Amino acid sequence: MTAKKTYHGRAPAAFALIVAGVAFLSTPAAAQRSGAEPFKIGVILALTGAGAGLGIPERSGALLAEKIINSKGGVNGTPIQLVIEDDGSNPDGAISKANSLIHREKVSALIGSSQTASTVAIGGLTDPLKMPQVALSGLGPAIERDRKCVLHVAPSQALNAKAILEYASSIGAKKLGALYDSGYGTVVYNELRKLSDAYGIAFVATEKFEISATDTTTQAAKIRAAQPDAIVVVGVTGVPIRSLRQLQMKQTIIAANGLASYETVKSMGDAADNVVFPEFLVGEDPLPHQAEFVKLFHKEYGRFPKILEAVGWDAVHVILAAFKKADVGANNEKVCEAIRSTFKGDMTDYDFSADDLNGIKLSNIVYSKLVAGQFTRLPFQAKEK
Amino acid sequence: MKASRSLVILLSIAVCVALPPFLPRHFVDLLVFAGIYTVAGLGVGLLLGQCGIANLGQIVFYAIGAYATAYLTVYVQAPAMVGFVVGMLISAALALTIGWPILRLTGYFLALATLAMGIVANALFFEWDWLTGGTLGIGGIPKLQIFSFVLDTPLRFYYLVLGVVAICLLLAHNLIRSRTGLALRAMRDSQDAAISLAVNPRALRTRIFILSALLGSVAGSLFAHYGGFANVQSFGIEKSINFLLIPVLGGATSLIGVVVGALFIAVVPELLSQFGGLHQILFGVALIGVVVLMPAGLTGALAEVWRRSAEGARP
Amino acid sequence: MNVGLLAQSLLAGITNGLTYALIGIGLAAIFKGSRVPNAMQGEFSVVGAIVVVLLLTGHGWPYWLAILCGGLSGAILGAFIEVAFIRYMIRNAAPEDSYLLLTIGIGLSISAAVLYFFGRESHLLPGFGSDNLYIILDAVVREHVIWLIAISILLTIGLRQFYRTTSVGLKMMAASIDPVGAASIGIDVTLMRTFTFMLGGALGAAAGILITPIIPVDYMIGLQLTLKGFAAAILGGLTNPLGAAIGGLVLGIIEAMAIVGVSSSYKDVITFSLLILIMIAMPQGLLGRAGRTGG
Repeated sequence: MTAKKTYHGRAPAAFALIVAGVAFLSTPAAAQRSGAEPFKIGVILALTGAGAGLGIPERSGALLAEKIINSKGGVNGTPIQLVIEDDGSNPDGAISKANSLIHREKVSALIGSSQTASTVAIGGLTDPLKMPQVALSGLGPAIERDRKCVLHVAPSQALNAKAILEYASSIGAKKLGALYDSGYGTVVYNELRKLSDAYGIAFVATEKFEISATDTTTQAAKIRAAQPDAIVVVGVTGVPIRSLRQLQMKQTIIAANGLASYETVKSMGDAADNVVFPEFLVGEDPLPHQAEFVKLFHKEYGRFPKILEAVGWDAVHVILAAFKKADVGANNEKVCEAIRSTFKGDMTDYDFSADDLNGIKLSNIVYSKLVAGQFTRLPFQAKEK
Repeated sequence: MKASRSLVILLSIAVCVALPPFLPRHFVDLLVFAGIYTVAGLGVGLLLGQCGIANLGQIVFYAIGAYATAYLTVYVQAPAMVGFVVGMLISAALALTIGWPILRLTGYFLALATLAMGIVANALFFEWDWLTGGTLGIGGIPKLQIFSFVLDTPLRFYYLVLGVVAICLLLAHNLIRSRTGLALRAMRDSQDAAISLAVNPRALRTRIFILSALLGSVAGSLFAHYGGFANVQSFGIEKSINFLLIPVLGGATSLIGVVVGALFIAVVPELLSQFGGLHQILFGVALIGVVVLMPAGLTGALAEVWRRSAEGARP
Repeated sequence: MNVGLLAQSLLAGITNGLTYALIGIGLAAIFKGSRVPNAMQGEFSVVGAIVVVLLLTGHGWPYWLAILCGGLSGAILGAFIEVAFIRYMIRNAAPEDSYLLLTIGIGLSISAAVLYFFGRESHLLPGFGSDNLYIILDAVVREHVIWLIAISILLTIGLRQFYRTTSVGLKMMAASIDPVGAASIGIDVTLMRTFTFMLGGALGAAAGILITPIIPVDYMIGLQLTLKGFAAAILGGLTNPLGAAIGGLVLGIIEAMAIVGVSSSYKDVITFSLLILIMIAMPQGLLGRAGRTGG
């Protein structure tokens, strides 16, 4: 009984500690920076939780952009400042982060988030204010077409699907297998289904797996039994590609660009061979207009950037270009107008006034192929029909 | 003692009503979420505290409420009330059909059954994209409106949620005080004795399960209106675990504990986020700290502080 | 349906099932010895595997030594959790729910710490033995899978023998079934609980090391492993490592058959609905009453 008493004895002290901690943590930082007020851009990314694989590389691209832009004098002479927040891959968190950035930090524009749900959540706050928002996720539910100030720098699912089919038809594949996840994979697959007839391509085996599946051998075995000419894989981990290759399937795998990162390639192990990506940036062999960014990135981080890093980098530049055009002090509506035009990014060229909200063209797609774990740029180029 | 307790309650209500207008906007936003989590967590808390059932499937009903609201207000353009009611009807029906067979299980078997229910539902939310929008979800859910007063700021929505929380707590309080509450606790503590007193445990537990589902559904509908979207990413297993953490953290048998637990889940991660990448580690550590140092939950510790100061005041 | 597909799926089901089984065995061992439902069992696997990855690829240690240290790291972590938290909580008669909350909290911290200190990348280990492939009934089998199956069986049998025949194993069981009685005949109940956590931790780490040549390990995988292991252990009656092994296999095979027989879209729906049905039909677990009490 005495033990019990001392135990309860600590509870009040612990409680007091928590109260003190909360009080301490909720006091706003007193030190205000003096001098010229920088141009603030809020950034909300998934830096922890399931989406961290997206948010962390996006952040490194955005941070590099901030550094380079400021070294060149900022926007019209004002330095820029990114205020980066983590939504923890949780859309509930994204809402309060956005509220804090908009109303407390008074940012001029928002970048984010890494995942569709958070992007839509933030859009609900930026839309009534007509605050420019650059989303790093692909086009989400129908409402996003009405949100005139929300831009998407990631390619649309229709474009992803077209790019995949273009390549499949170029290698003469008529019978395709598809292995896709229940998340974004399903969205791309629905587009593939819609477009495949026009290419004279049939899907002979289609199998689904959960986003974070640890094994897809059984699905792969079903695809193997159908003997397709090539296999389309849409997902975010290297697991499906490993499963296919372990079953000794030698066919070309065409994978959506979500898989085109050094991390996923590493997780594929020796399965990372004869995999083709319709993507945007091959650091080992960049397009002329990407060379400068790749060089800067490599100098800063000692490795090559990939699509996610480039998206983070381009997002900051898109906002800057709009504010340069409309003037830093311009009201939101003007900036939104200015932002809805063409933009030459380092990842690719955009036309934000286009129907799919970013106007990335099929001809902008760069095809790369994994040969023994290394990305190599292919000469193949898809043509707009 | 009785008088001082009423005083504390009155004081808490006064703070809840009067303080938020002076808080920063994103903080009020966190309070809105704390309120929504309280409603959902209350359902889990009743099951845990009154019946001894660990429910890891509350997310199912939360999601049903959110999707009912999303689908009906966006695609059918029905009034908001319809979303709330349909969500509750579906949740109650589902709770009855699932609850009746699984509530014969006990202990960890039952916990696993509710977890399995959550996993099945999550898979279906992805799969039935004609209804849920799949991975993209549904956006553009209209703001709630009371006559012509639009609840379009966190503060306005906060007062609505506060009202809902107050009503739910009051109803739960009356339930616990009623004969049903007595039967529930008798059953939790000694099932055989309860049966001999003509209590039908499964029927009673099913009723509480349905009540819990209704609370989950209301919380989900509120969430959908507040956030303006419904997306499967909000309805994962992690959220179910959080809903269970709420009453456990606060102290399962106390109603105020649910409020305190919900505040912890909603506010603490935000406060810790200023530590950058470390914040999730710190959140885990905070959970461990509460469990190890406060065996009766946060409310138990609070009550202890209260008791001591009362003793201290008496010479 | 062709034989190759069936054989391949069955093999995949068995392989995945053993993965769940290995996690479930550790969970069951801990529950058996301490009544703590360990919601961070998967994290033991993550830690064990990461330690091996670091020693092997980071420091170039020999594989066998790295594996040994990986297993040891799980045991140490288990002992730490018992000594630092569980012991204190038991002494102060903490309520039952709080152990679940504690282990959830530890699991969250470890997962976040792995992301913070080791990054978001997933890691693979080389297969045991050679990288040879064998074709059995038209199904492709990696040599590591054979090792995985063999070692899992050995671990399950070994654990059973450990509880039944060794003095420490018997003491651990006695200390858990009747702590007061055990203490009165001179068994150090607290020490036995520490052993239980060391055993559970080592089993968890061993599971992680065994599966990492097949499944890449990352900061997020712990919770997933725990959930499946929890399902496996409960199916088997929760206190019986052999039951957990059977539970895991049942789960894995149902999953594979759901994909082959119905549709991969409804894999989880079918598997977990069946799981609920099995529990309703066999409320004592797959092994019945024997499974709940036996070792």
